[in-house]
Amino acid sequence: MLVTKPMAELCSLLIDELHGELPSRIFATLLSKGRSTLPQLAQYTAMTARQLRHGLAVLLQHNLLYYHIDPGAEFAFYEANADHAYNLARTGKILEMVDTSFGAAAKDVMQSLLLSGQTRISDLVAAYQDKIDHANKAAALIGDDDDFGPEPTGVNGDPSGAKKPGLLVKSTAHLNSIICRLVEAEVIDVVHEKTFESSQDILKVVEKEVMDTYFPGGVKGNKAKIEVQGRIAEGLRKVRGESKSLKRKLEQNGSASKRRKLFAGIGMSNGVQDEEMDPALDPKQVIRINYERCLVDLRNRRLVQFATDMFGETTAYVYGVLLKLLTRDAPRCRPDPVMDAPGDDDDDENEKKWLGGVATEQILDSLKTSVDLSSGIGKADRRQISSRAAEMIEAHPPKKKALIAEAEVEGDASADEDEDDESSSEGSDNDSDFERPNGTNGVNGTNDTKVKFDESAAPKERRLDRPTQLRQHLLLLSDSTERFVRHCGPNEWTVDFEPVMGALREAELDSVIERVSGRQGLRLVRILRAKGKLDEKALPNVALMRKPELQQKMLEMQTNGFVHVQEVPRDVKADVKKSFFLWFCDIDRSLDRLLDTSYTTMVHCIQVLEALRQKEKDVLSTTRRSDVRGREKDTMRKEYYERYSRFLECERKLFAQVMRLDDLVSVLRDF
Amino acid sequence: MAADSLADDSAKLQILKDALYDEIRQHGSETRLFSQKDLLDLNIIPNHNVLLLVRVVQGLTDDKLLVGTTNHHAGLAWRWRSREEAKKYTSLPNDETVLVYSIIDEAGADGIWNRTIKNKLNMHEAVVKNCIKFLETKGYIASMKNVEHPNKKMYIKATLRPSERATGGPWFTEGELDTAFIAELEGIVFEYIKTKSAYRGSLPHHTATPKLPKKGSIAGETRGTKRAATDISNDDTPATATTTSTAGRKPPTRAVFLPMPAGYKHYPTVAEIAKFIHDTGITNNTTLGEADIQQLVDVLTYDGLIEPVRVNRRKGFRVARATRQDTVPFHKRQKEREAGIIGLDQPLVPGAEPLSNGLTEAPCGRCPVFELCEEGGPVSPSNCVYFSQWLDLEDAPRVVAPNVAPPS
Repeated sequence: MLVTKPMAELCSLLIDELHGELPSRIFATLLSKGRSTLPQLAQYTAMTARQLRHGLAVLLQHNLLYYHIDPGAEFAFYEANADHAYNLARTGKILEMVDTSFGAAAKDVMQSLLLSGQTRISDLVAAYQDKIDHANKAAALIGDDDDFGPEPTGVNGDPSGAKKPGLLVKSTAHLNSIICRLVEAEVIDVVHEKTFESSQDILKVVEKEVMDTYFPGGVKGNKAKIEVQGRIAEGLRKVRGESKSLKRKLEQNGSASKRRKLFAGIGMSNGVQDEEMDPALDPKQVIRINYERCLVDLRNRRLVQFATDMFGETTAYVYGVLLKLLTRDAPRCRPDPVMDAPGDDDDDENEKKWLGGVATEQILDSLKTSVDLSSGIGKADRRQISSRAAEMIEAHPPKKKALIAEAEVEGDASADEDEDDESSSEGSDNDSDFERPNGTNGVNGTNDTKVKFDESAAPKERRLDRPTQLRQHLLLLSDSTERFVRHCGPNEWTVDFEPVMGALREAELDSVIERVSGRQGLRLVRILRAKGKLDEKALPNVALMRKPELQQKMLEMQTNGFVHVQEVPRDVKADVKKSFFLWFCDIDRSLDRLLDTSYTTMVHCIQVLEALRQKEKDVLSTTRRSDVRGREKDTMRKEYYERYSRFLECERKLFAQVMRLDDLVSVLRDF
Repeated sequence: MAADSLADDSAKLQILKDALYDEIRQHGSETRLFSQKDLLDLNIIPNHNVLLLVRVVQGLTDDKLLVGTTNHHAGLAWRWRSREEAKKYTSLPNDETVLVYSIIDEAGADGIWNRTIKNKLNMHEAVVKNCIKFLETKGYIASMKNVEHPNKKMYIKATLRPSERATGGPWFTEGELDTAFIAELEGIVFEYIKTKSAYRGSLPHHTATPKLPKKGSIAGETRGTKRAATDISNDDTPATATTTSTAGRKPPTRAVFLPMPAGYKHYPTVAEIAKFIHDTGITNNTTLGEADIQQLVDVLTYDGLIEPVRVNRRKGFRVARATRQDTVPFHKRQKEREAGIIGLDQPLVPGAEPLSNGLTEAPCGRCPVFELCEEGGPVSPSNCVYFSQWLDLEDAPRVVAPNVAPPS
């Protein structure tokens, strides 16, 4: 990932926030100076080796460093892991996500993992055993994971601790089962020796290995080059697969598939399943949080929110269920260009699984029964609906231009059949509807309808409507301009993440433009997007705006980086008065700039918080006293306590804002 | 004898001239060009006598009844001019005036800039000015305004109406883009599309909805109730006003627009919208063609208020983000604004409130000095006034001596 200046600043601020100043300073140095050895670091930072080792240990513990030891070298090279440093900002969101989909106990485990970094399972078990014993003995307050003071827990968004009802993890067996489930969901994975190598280092090692074993004489010809690529990808996949070793072991166990079934449901009840079925985990394994997988879930949530904005809650809920089913086995948001290159069939049954479609019945089975599917969509007479257009199947993901052409053909084929369509039911089998040739239609269509009705009339009357309603929601999603869903086969649904995320990114950019430059600014940008480069003189006509206003708006947006201008001289003299001025809008450039702006804004939020802390220093120092902590309200003077609670509120607001900004950053960068 | 034959000849010529002129007028409009061959084929000139034709045409041209032009396809060609027009020409006092008038005549409905006249004729400015003055007082020409070059003094034949290009079409009034008219019409078109492309239904009030799992992130949940009465404090859309006024009798359901099912065939098309506008007769003295309405609809699309939908071959338009739309018609909102229910501090534009994200909410997203802001600089996050406003810290807390009550 490209580390820009605001990004580097943000990362060191985040580390400062969570792990203190020492690691933060080392991290900042590593970011600015690049990979360095211990003596080099000592020189850059003017710190003693002892201090440095302390700091590096903390960073390593939290997976914020890469290191690399060349064979025979005296010192290891350290390198900053900016990705993971940035992920610290997502802590709260990930915990919340785990809370909603795995339950409070799983969240508790995750929180411990987040606080202590990568942990050996035995250590985690021991810590929880301790806690359980302690609770059993005293049956009083737990108050243990608040050890970090108010600052770190603030990120989580809720001042936890006090209102916890009691122990969430009841026994070590329970803990074991929780870890098993999290591992199976890939939210937790295993730390292995390659975890700490940066991706470039791994690539280099694998490359060298491939060259040494398969091509000792060098690579000749195109065919060999392709083979090298394949072998490297394979090697990289193997390295990547290592962190999934624990999951594989669990899957080999017979109980895995059964547990999986319980898993698939949206509203699963946690902790009810018998814990004896989970195999005991190797206590020596070191586990950590797998941010890549967490991002997939976070992306789902963001998309659901997007769908809510576009259609409303019910449709978005259906969409959420579909996404959940679809991404159950997706290890990451974006396939790696090298490792997941299309074409090699040997090892991608996994990839296939997470790119396939989901059947309507599957979605139906996962829907909560309390959700009323009839709401959220307008009612229209059956005659007003063209089921042919609605049920159009797109078997292949869209390729920008081809999509339009395809739609054209579809339109031609069906234009004269509108009348016939009207007679057929919405529930008619879309397969035949789609493939039916031009001439022989009416009878066929009604026949289908009959069959369908006979079939579905057998179960309860209530069920009769629900699949149709569900289909309506799904069709609505696939009909949208944003292409939320693709109807990839009869009764099969999938999501092409790239175009949807593109639409979401554009929507985010649009909302920023609209807020900054108003609706007219947005209008101009979208005109440029639709038409490409446009002469300044042609714009007012299209936008129906007055010329001076328009010019002012364009200049304003140019300084904001939303539009760009190109000057084309009319002749060799390049007279400015005669030159053409072509406005255009480069979405990628705008998005990059937006990303940097977001980083900077996050930095500002944290800096404002720091300034607030300085201002309220006296209050905060008293709250750190051991006789005050935990009993702030009783022990502090009234106006003091008010200042303190006001500060806490500001802190919450600012952290919430950082998280909101992270929503934007994730959309722009990671999803 | 010679004189007699000359007179006879001129009389013959006059007859031929009249006959040819009448025949030409039968054969096409004023803009049609006639080549020499065309004129001969009219069978007026006996024996296809070219020399005679030359004399006849010369005579007609002198009478300003024919205008000679060189067409690069057909070479020399002529078009006819009406007798009234020709009379105007012949009545002009001198050649300069004739030249000026003919140049203005040629410019047609687009008009011509007075400096172009001067440059084309290579005459002294005063002469041109005199000619123009004379023509204007005679009522032959009139000055006009062109929207593309509002500062240029243009002239046009008094009998013509300025072309669309010069006036800018229906969106211009007296050479100015009529933004008020456009905005009004946009509102109406949007309202029409909104009501025609979305289903007016009701949803149970947000608190009464079946408990959906908390899917959207923290911020998403509050956004779901954009139209709910609970959001009044920070909701600045026009919707707030009515929610406040009707808050007393809060119904268990709220009216919303719902999206139509996929494949809906009756999304309004441009033709339908144009017909609607025509039928209502809102634009009583401006006629709006389908192309004009298309322009308007395009603008709405670019504004992100509506989106094009293609169902089979029908190209319709539907409102974007139907569920977020205001169920109270826009013109009612405008009435409310006039009545003062919606304050001037709140924007009144058609369509739903724009989406927002973390950046637009933080002060930085709209900060004018964002680029300068840096720790250690003159503007820095630690002394940011926008942030302290945003965090409600305007009134700085008084400094109190640190003290803690003794632990009990």
